[in-house]
Amino acid sequence: MTRYILRRAAIGVLMLLALTVLIFVLLRLTPGDPIDAYINPSVPVSPADLADLRVRMGLDQPLPVQYFGWLRAALTGDFGYSVQHAGEPVLGLVLSRIGPTILLMGAGILIACIVGIAAGIWGAVRRNDPSDISLSVAAFIGLSSPVFLTALLGLYAFSVMLHWVPSGGMTTPGAPFSVGDLLAHLILPACLLSIAHAALIMRYMRASLLEVLSQDYVRTARAKGLKEFWVIVKHAVRNALLPVITLIGSTLGIAIGGAIFIESVFNWPGMGLLLIDSVNRRDYPVIMCATLLTGVCVIVVNLLTDIAYAAVDPRIKLS
Amino acid sequence: MHIGKFGRVMATAAMLMAATAIAVPATAFADKTITGGFDVGPGGFQGNFNPLSATAGFTWLNTYYEPLVIRTADLSKLEGDLASSWTVSDDHLTYTFKLADAKWHDGQDFTSADVKFTIEFAKNAKTGSLFAARLGDIASVDTPDPKTAVVTLSKPNAGLLDIFSQLMMLPEHVLSKMDPASLANSTYWSTNPIGTGPFKFSKYVSDQYVELDAFDGYRGGKPKVDHLIDRYFANAAAAVAALKSGEIQFTYAEPDDAKTFDGDANFKVIPGDSWVVNFIGFNWKTELWKDLKVRQAVMYAIDRKQIVDSLYGGAAKLAQCGYVAPQIVPDGLNDYAYNPDKAKELLQEAGWDKINGDKPITFLTYYNTPQIANVLAAMQAMLAQVGINVQPRAVDVPTYNGIVHGDQYDQYQLTFAGAANGPNPGSLNINLNGAQQPPVGNNIMHIDMPDLTKAIETAMGETDASKSDADWQAVCKTMNDNLPWGSLWVASRFGVASTKLRDFVWIPAPAGGPFEMHPEKWDIAQ
Repeated sequence: MTRYILRRAAIGVLMLLALTVLIFVLLRLTPGDPIDAYINPSVPVSPADLADLRVRMGLDQPLPVQYFGWLRAALTGDFGYSVQHAGEPVLGLVLSRIGPTILLMGAGILIACIVGIAAGIWGAVRRNDPSDISLSVAAFIGLSSPVFLTALLGLYAFSVMLHWVPSGGMTTPGAPFSVGDLLAHLILPACLLSIAHAALIMRYMRASLLEVLSQDYVRTARAKGLKEFWVIVKHAVRNALLPVITLIGSTLGIAIGGAIFIESVFNWPGMGLLLIDSVNRRDYPVIMCATLLTGVCVIVVNLLTDIAYAAVDPRIKLS
Repeated sequence: MHIGKFGRVMATAAMLMAATAIAVPATAFADKTITGGFDVGPGGFQGNFNPLSATAGFTWLNTYYEPLVIRTADLSKLEGDLASSWTVSDDHLTYTFKLADAKWHDGQDFTSADVKFTIEFAKNAKTGSLFAARLGDIASVDTPDPKTAVVTLSKPNAGLLDIFSQLMMLPEHVLSKMDPASLANSTYWSTNPIGTGPFKFSKYVSDQYVELDAFDGYRGGKPKVDHLIDRYFANAAAAVAALKSGEIQFTYAEPDDAKTFDGDANFKVIPGDSWVVNFIGFNWKTELWKDLKVRQAVMYAIDRKQIVDSLYGGAAKLAQCGYVAPQIVPDGLNDYAYNPDKAKELLQEAGWDKINGDKPITFLTYYNTPQIANVLAAMQAMLAQVGINVQPRAVDVPTYNGIVHGDQYDQYQLTFAGAANGPNPGSLNINLNGAQQPPVGNNIMHIDMPDLTKAIETAMGETDASKSDADWQAVCKTMNDNLPWGSLWVASRFGVASTKLRDFVWIPAPAGGPFEMHPEKWDIAQ
């Protein structure tokens, strides 16, 4: 097991190195650099001053020199300074954005689970009832609606029209921090993020529960005179949840993609907003660091998953 | 039915969540606070705190920093700000500034030592200053007494005061202790910067907002509001949503968004000239546009009036040269009124079939708004009618800059772009002067017309204000006759403010100004 983990870790390091080379080259192949992003095309700025700025940032150096300079510093934990956030060390900046993203994604997935499972149970128990059909139609609409559309519609309806919730940000500017204020800013983006996931979970839950409800042990429970509520909650739902839990785990990747867009629409200060801004402004140091950290997370999670499989399933041997 | 009980539990949970959201007000201050999207739109620069490296965003920077001189709110002239008055020697080589009795936010006096320090600091390229080249004509700064600063030039520079209007004064007693080279990447600018403006820096919440507090010691009196907040937005539409939902009281708005406030008594739309001329840029490094007849044909083929009326809603002025200010535009210019037949005739005379024919021509722009997409589509259709096949390509700003500063000329044979044309028309020099071609300057279309270059240099070198207008009229005439680019229009820009604001002054100045807006007088109805 130890040898396996060490070997995987070594492969992981090589993969991360390859990832940094790939991102570095792709960024340099993209037209425009941080200085080009700095220039307002309609405002005159002296090219001599811009050239000085380019030299100061080391952008005049050959690409291998730039890459190995970055790598050497990165190995010591120094990822440099953000271009767009002057003076902010990149590592601290990227790490500070992980929390808000986890909060948004976590809240979104939690709401999706609650709503999706509840609606799925309702649909299965009230099969072909008008409420079941309505929920199924709503689920299809939710599944078919792209997140950019639901985000903008939700923003317009609940913030601009109804004034129920703030239109963006994570807290009210200038106000002291409070959990209520945070929740007020969180609720709309989290709900909008949850729509597609809730719809998917509802469909899976409904199908899974219908299958379970036709099983012999459910009929036995009913025959024993157990109340219908407890038959469903204690016997049917618990068994029907197994495939749904697998589904929830596998949709985490989709949630990350959705969170990036939601963060942009709602100006939520997470990794998604940071990455989009960094790409728009060609903030090379931030893009490199954020991509590297994402790569580390993926490799570590994959390794842990493989180890967990081996721990859970005795048929799998890690060697 | 027990399932009904289960449903009620879920419904109660959902209602609790909703109640949590609704119970919290969007803003809850005892003090008076004005919150706005002051860095939204083309005049803003979110995330930039260093006034020496600002290419825009001067509206916000000017709430806590101040320059020596400043434009009036109609941008027509310069007045004193931190300089109470100034004189210029007859040979235009010596500028003497008498300084106002101002204090820094930390209570220290503002003196001529600060002026000398700021100018020398801004001339030092190591500081990341974008003023270094523009201040190159300054030979020395003397400080005969604490309230007098004397700037001596090596040669006359008619644009010096305009440059000074964007050069925010910095505190010598704070910054002289720091290493100039490290200041460009210092957190000083976004944590505890010191200025002399009516508001002082309070805090910056990364990518969310910047908060300022009223400066009690401001020489113009204590500001009427206690706090000023600049909220950050991903785009202008998001800021408009926040304005409509009552979270902010001001923002820049795209023309289509500004229209949605018409007739709404809760908001006031503030229109203004953009001071940016939009033009069709001909890439002079290609053979396509060398013949004047071809360039004229492009102008005659485009129904600019129709585009302005229908796609800009009339909110743009047709431009026959690089600017539209009446005192510097002569009579008798060719208005290039829509005439597709004449365009076809000119193309035939020029032999367009042999020059290019119907081969596609890349029409590059950095404008990514729906409005400009429609404008480009309209121009594409109009040019197609006369046999010029253009393919619009909208890219982001860094991509645009990366392309036009390179040498792949086929990637930008034609551009739709904008250039700042005022308040000092000399700002066009960097785009049109033949000596300003890359890598020296920003003449990215490689325009090389000796007559135009000479006319611009004559106008810029004119220190006699009474003759200056005639010189700029000559530049305009040359542009209109020779079409170094195809001048189209100067569009209006819009801000939208809540009617709760009192004595609020804002104009869509290029780069955000600065201009006399007197933030200390801004107030808000509670």
